[in-house]
Amino acid sequence: MYKTVAEIVTAAEERELPIWRLILEQEMDYTQESQTVVWRKMRNQLNVMKEAVERGTKGEGVFSPTGLTGGEAVKMKKYREAGKGLSGDLMLWAMENAIATNEVNASMGVICATPTAGSSGTLPGVLFAIDKKLNLTEEQMIEFLFTASAFGMVTANNAMIAGATGGCQAEVGSASAMAAAAAVELNGGTPTQAAEAFAMAMSNLLGLVCDPVAGLVELPCVKRNVVGAVNALAAADMALAGLENKIPADEVIQAMKEIGQGMPASLRETGQGGLAATPTGIRMRMKIFGESINLNQNED
Amino acid sequence: MGGKYRSVFDIIGPAMIGPSSSHTAGAVAIGRKARQIFADEIKSVRVDHYESFAMTHKGHGTDYALAAGVLGMEPDDSRVPQAVEVARDQGIQIDFIEHTEPSPIHHPNTAILTIKNEHKEVVVAGCSVGGGTIELREIQIDGVTIRPTGPLPMLLTWIQVEQMFTIENMITAGGSSVLKIITQEINQETVLVIYELDKRPNVKVLADLQDACQQVVCL
Repeated sequence: MYKTVAEIVTAAEERELPIWRLILEQEMDYTQESQTVVWRKMRNQLNVMKEAVERGTKGEGVFSPTGLTGGEAVKMKKYREAGKGLSGDLMLWAMENAIATNEVNASMGVICATPTAGSSGTLPGVLFAIDKKLNLTEEQMIEFLFTASAFGMVTANNAMIAGATGGCQAEVGSASAMAAAAAVELNGGTPTQAAEAFAMAMSNLLGLVCDPVAGLVELPCVKRNVVGAVNALAAADMALAGLENKIPADEVIQAMKEIGQGMPASLRETGQGGLAATPTGIRMRMKIFGESINLNQNED
Repeated sequence: MGGKYRSVFDIIGPAMIGPSSSHTAGAVAIGRKARQIFADEIKSVRVDHYESFAMTHKGHGTDYALAAGVLGMEPDDSRVPQAVEVARDQGIQIDFIEHTEPSPIHHPNTAILTIKNEHKEVVVAGCSVGGGTIELREIQIDGVTIRPTGPLPMLLTWIQVEQMFTIENMITAGGSSVLKIITQEINQETVLVIYELDKRPNVKVLADLQDACQQVVCL
């Protein structure tokens, strides 16, 4: 099993194989299942992602039971279709698909956690936006997911991917870095460039806290995935242009871990600090749950 | 390696009903494992929530997710959001208790499930470590308490003490490595042995183990 990003890059370069191929082999070894079976499972995950994006952008969109989020992917879609967007169609697609996925998640619809449900919009946001530009085959999309998972697994095993243990940097930060690396490989970059994209994307989101209003995966989670997706595309482009992070990917993962461990509990998915503790955030919580809250509870 | 995340589908997955992989999908997984360990008709379930679970279980659907798991539902089953009602309709008493003290198993996403019927009681202390992946750090069954390291897969076997090495050989011959063994005597004939593994044994090895042991649970 690959333990570090450096091991993945070395193996890919020495064996002259794409990263998706290495991780597919690892999975076959782990599960003792055939390539066909593993590949089919990943295709199912891809289909879940596609369906979530479709659901979130169809008609009026979807709305969460609390009313805190919903309908905004459709607004983004209309804005994009009007053709007056500042950031260009690819970025707008990424934003729209990221929002759509997380709105479906907040509405208790079916999504694919990548790596978590709170960060489930980032990878599809990037993947389906790139598809609009590069016209990807289904095989390429599945390869993208395998490559992303290689980086995600190293992150999860060496640091963390839960907001409750490491803040949003561990969720959207990890998702963004995974997407950046996979995007580089998809666009013909080298394994080293993929690792650089990963390192830049994660470095850019270090310190991001998990402060969901009312403890719900809605505010600010839905739009944090927009940041994750846009940041991933920017990091991929930087890496493909030859920019380097200077701090190696594996050291960035360690930094993320240390920052996560140092975060107060109020900023790790307890709904007790940050945006959740603003007057408006508190009012929303009380409206939803009808209870007073003690902001000092559960501090480390 | 000691990595908790061993499959690509721990990272790209699970396909699940929202809103939180750790608080919803992970909770389904804890419920499913508890059901598997209990392995009998369920009359009542008591859930003790700690830390982040205690603070946010309502908003994250942790309660219906645990109920769904206890009922054996998959995390992407469309009935997941109604699972508490479904359980109560089936005559299962289900209660949720919030605690303010730290998790006894030292993780912010902790749920301890006590499952009972007239003649059996099982306690499973699980934590959801992120992305839907879970650990089981304490199990009380047959009047004994065992504390595994946490990460899955693990094999619970009820065997005679002299079978220990035979069983271990069967597991390793199937391609899994045994990372740790924990034993607990149940009575003169039976010892509960937990084998912590790097990967799940395949179907054939599991079938052979079913034949060789008094009881086997593969988590």
